[in-house]
Amino acid sequence: MEHNLFAKPDDWFLLGIILGLPLYGAFFNGVFGKRFGRNMVRAVGVGTVGLSFLTAIFTFLQLHKLHHHAEAAAKTAWLAANQGKTLPAELPVASSKLSWFAWKWMSMATAGGDGRLAIDVKFSVDELSGVMMLVVTGVGFLIHLYASSYMAKDPGYHRFFAYLNLFIFSMLTLVLADNLPVLFVGWEGVGACSYLLIGFWFDKAENAAAGRKAFIANRIGDVGMLAGMLLIGYYLGALDWDGINHNADKLLDPAARIAIWQSSGKIITISAATAATLALFLGCTGKSAQIPLYVWLPDAMAGPTPVSALIHAATMVTSGIYLICRLNVVFALSPFTMMIISITGALTALFAATIGLVQNDIKKVLAYSTVSQLGFMFLGVGVGAFGMGFFHVFTHAFFKACLFLGAGSVIHAMHARVHDDVASQDMRNMGGMRKYMPWTYAAMGASTLAIAGFPLTSGFFSKDGILFKTWGNEVVHPYVATAKSLLELPECKANAAAPKCVAANNVLHAYWQAPPWLGKVLFAIGILAATMTAFYMFRLVFKTFWGEFKGWKVDESIKLATNPFENVEPLEDGDVSYGLATTTHGHDAHGSDEHETTDPRDLIEGERAPDHAHDHHDHHHEDLTVPAAPPAEAPWQMTVPVAILGAFALFAGFLYAEALHIEPIGHWLAPVFDDVVGKTVTMSEAAHHLEWPLMVPGVLAALIGSGLAYVWYVQQNEEPAKKLAAEWPRLHRAAYNKWYVDEIYEATVIGGADALADGAALMDAWIVDGILAKLTALVVSAFGAILRAFQTGVVHVYSAFVAVGTLGLVLFFVRPHPDATVAKEGDTYTLEAAPGIGYEYKWDVDGQADKEFVTGEPALKRTVQVPLDGTKKVTLEVKNSFGRTASHTFTLTNPKPAPVPTTTVAMPGAAPRPPAGH
Amino acid sequence: MAQADLLERIYFGLCAVLAVAGAIGTVAFPNPIRGALSLLFSIVAIAGLYLQLHAPFLAAIQLIVYAGAVVVLFLFVIMLIGPDAIPPKDSRALVARVTGGIAGTAISLLVIMVLSRKTFPRIAPIQAAYGSVESIGELLFTDYLVPFEVSSFLLMVAIVGAVAVARGKQPDPQLTKKPDADVAPAAEERGAS
Amino acid sequence: MIPIPAFLVLAGILFGIGAVGFLVRRNVLVALMSIELMLNAINLTFVAFNRSFPNQHTGQVISFFVIAIAAAEAAVGLAIVLSFFRLRKTVRSDSADLLKN
Repeated sequence: MEHNLFAKPDDWFLLGIILGLPLYGAFFNGVFGKRFGRNMVRAVGVGTVGLSFLTAIFTFLQLHKLHHHAEAAAKTAWLAANQGKTLPAELPVASSKLSWFAWKWMSMATAGGDGRLAIDVKFSVDELSGVMMLVVTGVGFLIHLYASSYMAKDPGYHRFFAYLNLFIFSMLTLVLADNLPVLFVGWEGVGACSYLLIGFWFDKAENAAAGRKAFIANRIGDVGMLAGMLLIGYYLGALDWDGINHNADKLLDPAARIAIWQSSGKIITISAATAATLALFLGCTGKSAQIPLYVWLPDAMAGPTPVSALIHAATMVTSGIYLICRLNVVFALSPFTMMIISITGALTALFAATIGLVQNDIKKVLAYSTVSQLGFMFLGVGVGAFGMGFFHVFTHAFFKACLFLGAGSVIHAMHARVHDDVASQDMRNMGGMRKYMPWTYAAMGASTLAIAGFPLTSGFFSKDGILFKTWGNEVVHPYVATAKSLLELPECKANAAAPKCVAANNVLHAYWQAPPWLGKVLFAIGILAATMTAFYMFRLVFKTFWGEFKGWKVDESIKLATNPFENVEPLEDGDVSYGLATTTHGHDAHGSDEHETTDPRDLIEGERAPDHAHDHHDHHHEDLTVPAAPPAEAPWQMTVPVAILGAFALFAGFLYAEALHIEPIGHWLAPVFDDVVGKTVTMSEAAHHLEWPLMVPGVLAALIGSGLAYVWYVQQNEEPAKKLAAEWPRLHRAAYNKWYVDEIYEATVIGGADALADGAALMDAWIVDGILAKLTALVVSAFGAILRAFQTGVVHVYSAFVAVGTLGLVLFFVRPHPDATVAKEGDTYTLEAAPGIGYEYKWDVDGQADKEFVTGEPALKRTVQVPLDGTKKVTLEVKNSFGRTASHTFTLTNPKPAPVPTTTVAMPGAAPRPPAGH
Repeated sequence: MAQADLLERIYFGLCAVLAVAGAIGTVAFPNPIRGALSLLFSIVAIAGLYLQLHAPFLAAIQLIVYAGAVVVLFLFVIMLIGPDAIPPKDSRALVARVTGGIAGTAISLLVIMVLSRKTFPRIAPIQAAYGSVESIGELLFTDYLVPFEVSSFLLMVAIVGAVAVARGKQPDPQLTKKPDADVAPAAEERGAS
Repeated sequence: MIPIPAFLVLAGILFGIGAVGFLVRRNVLVALMSIELMLNAINLTFVAFNRSFPNQHTGQVISFFVIAIAAAEAAVGLAIVLSFFRLRKTVRSDSADLLKN
């Protein structure tokens, strides 16, 4: 078909290269980074991701070619089938895929299906993961470039890049996986890397705690993820995308309903689809920071800013939406879950926006804005707008990463003089930065316009697309959709009383459906959240870049060197810096350096690096009234990525501008969502016409929000905000303290877990140690005490025991023992007497008695025939050499054997398919 | 014939009574000297029974060895021990003693019960040389030569052992010698490190 | 002719007396003498049984050896008693309880 080097679409080993390059970078930097120095670390760290990006582009182009071919093939097929008609605008196209089978992992025996469930390490790219792959590697590359300068002074430079590369590898594993288990490997990998990177400066307890919180919240979600995976594997017998999409109907089987509540005759069941999707959604709330598991994301700002940009804006937190888009066929089977997703998304968007309104830390504002935007994305996929929700992922990656990196540049500039970690991020210390950092200002301004949803920016198209579809989309149960289409057929329109039409009618109302007003309510919530978003984002811009600079007294004549790579220390392993590394500044800007010696690093390692005198941020407060150089624009490695991302934020919207019918991404992603969109997710014609009118509330939201921010923060110099905070102090404090959600969790869930642990410890101390251990010891020592009483040490007592024992023996030998073993063979019983010295035997077999005692071999055995169900008696009399006799009677019966039951075992397996074809 | 029978029975009864009385005396007297003398009577009575069983050699040996050596040895040791041979009475380990007593009695009763039922065929008449010195001596030096020699060896071992045990510990001048002066510091050095 | 079971019963009685005496009396000297008594009873049993075999003297030879061994055993046992007495100044076997517990 194609004559190029990489001919086979099902053995696309470049995927291995895309994955392997960051992995190699992680390995190299982790193991050899310290030895080779910063330049090598930077080259390997940034270079591997860059190369991976180029390979990803090449792969994407190849995929595009395949997609093109598929489109052409679909067109020719349609034209061949429908002679003479004109091509419709939208033609369903089969999805194209490039895959790479790495190795067999495991295969499990299953009860149903064809008996074996094979789980292999297989990677694949299709339309959806192709876009995601480009985002991950592209934005990842830009952020690596940024971080190479941002972290330039950090002694853990090599460790940082190792973790960052490892993160890219894990994220790519997640995105490029061809089945759920491999995706889960990537899922866990990004969680682990997130933990490592959030707690990068782990000498501060709060950073380590934040990392732990992120990991644990993720793990709680993972329980749901695993449960969902198991349910899917069980019911569908397949865990790879092809298999899942093919067999998805099995989740709707009436036999596959799960009972969740049983009480006095009433049983509430849910379909397996609902159970599996709800479980998977729990995993998504953990990974993508939705209610209830979003609490880790604001704390995750303790990590370095490039980490926040990459992980908590662009890539990791979007895994949840990616999963839902990937499994859209499964999710669409359960309108209930879709409703839950959309409600959760909307509420999260609103909730996080309220918190972001009053925060002062620039990164915290961005964090809550991320949670809020993720809420929008979930709202989008929850109402069935998979393509648009994913597009919001795409645009959000750009504008949020740009915002974070820009904020990082600002913080970087603040750190030159404000060494305290908290103060350098506080917006109340900033202001007027647009004079000093024009590029950063421009990019962040562009991204703010995008996130607020100003017309024609990327955020506008994606957010408004989501809100439009929230209003208009309808998600129905697949059986209902089938019934509806059945009722549309001409024969049912003509004769509504035909049996199958009646049956279809009954199905229409038999399945749960979201109420029709829900979409409107969610739209209103979305608009409210959008207004708040515009407000607090512009508040951030105005407080940071406009007005007077409040950080320190500025003397414009002093210039700073901006080379971040001068005067850096040697790399140290496992070591930390205390926050941000400073840019080099002239050493004459300080007075003398009298330094305390309580360097925490001394407590960790014995040696100090030679000249790190200027990096003790918390121990060294500068006198900020002494005029110094203004905050500097960041070096090109930091500014260029910010600018590129800002440009994308502005113009990427035209990739899916549905209202303008410019939809390259929409067309591109259509094959992935074709099974669902148009079938179970529909929009009525009436709603379609509302596309333009419904844009108005969105634009109004952006204008009102930004306008209010302008009035309050630029014109009236924050007076209205301060007045409002003074009038409603408790409300302000509650919003500032995140509505005390963390405290509630601490009191309830974590408190409960602690109480459980305490109870277990108590039980261990009392019951296990006290009762079990001590009791067994007591028993043993009691036995010992009893036995010890026998050890008197006096020979006479021992001999008394010997006498007693001998008495027993004598008794045994003096009495004769008429023992015989009975063996049965069919109907014949053989009795064999036990031999004894000097014994004589006399048998009485069923009435036939021996005349006298006999000795020797023939006297030992006797046989008897016992008929079925009959009984016979045999008596044995023995005489021992002391002349004593004894006898014993054996009763032999031959009962009929019990009848053998016939077994019928019901085999669990594939239930019959539903009657209405799908 | 009846008179011979009667004589035999009287003789048997006399020896039996004497033997039993002597046995009871052995175990009953608190004073071991009286016990030893009772044992003597018992042994002599048993020797008489041997004679009745046509075992003259054995009877002679019994008198020479048992009565003449063992009992004398007992008497020597008792007299060596002196008045402490009669310890004051105390009731230690009464339970064990009672149990032992009951068990022993039970065993012996059972044995007696069993043995008394044994029937023997008519006892054949015997020759005069039965049980004589010549016949036993001949056996000892032909069929039972090895046990004979071994038992002599055993007797020698017993003599040596008795001497060794009874001698008791005396301080050995070789063992109580003080260690050499020049050996000690080296040992101390080694011990200190 | 005295029936042999008479001898056997007598031997049994003597054995019983000796056994009971050994188990009940705690004076080691009396215990040793009880052992001698039991051995004598055994000898009597052997000789009595032997009486029913006119051509064999096995029982008597056994008794002969038993006497020899009993003599040896008495010698060693009394030596032990002497040592014990020197140590404990008593002849009660209850005092030999260093192996207690």
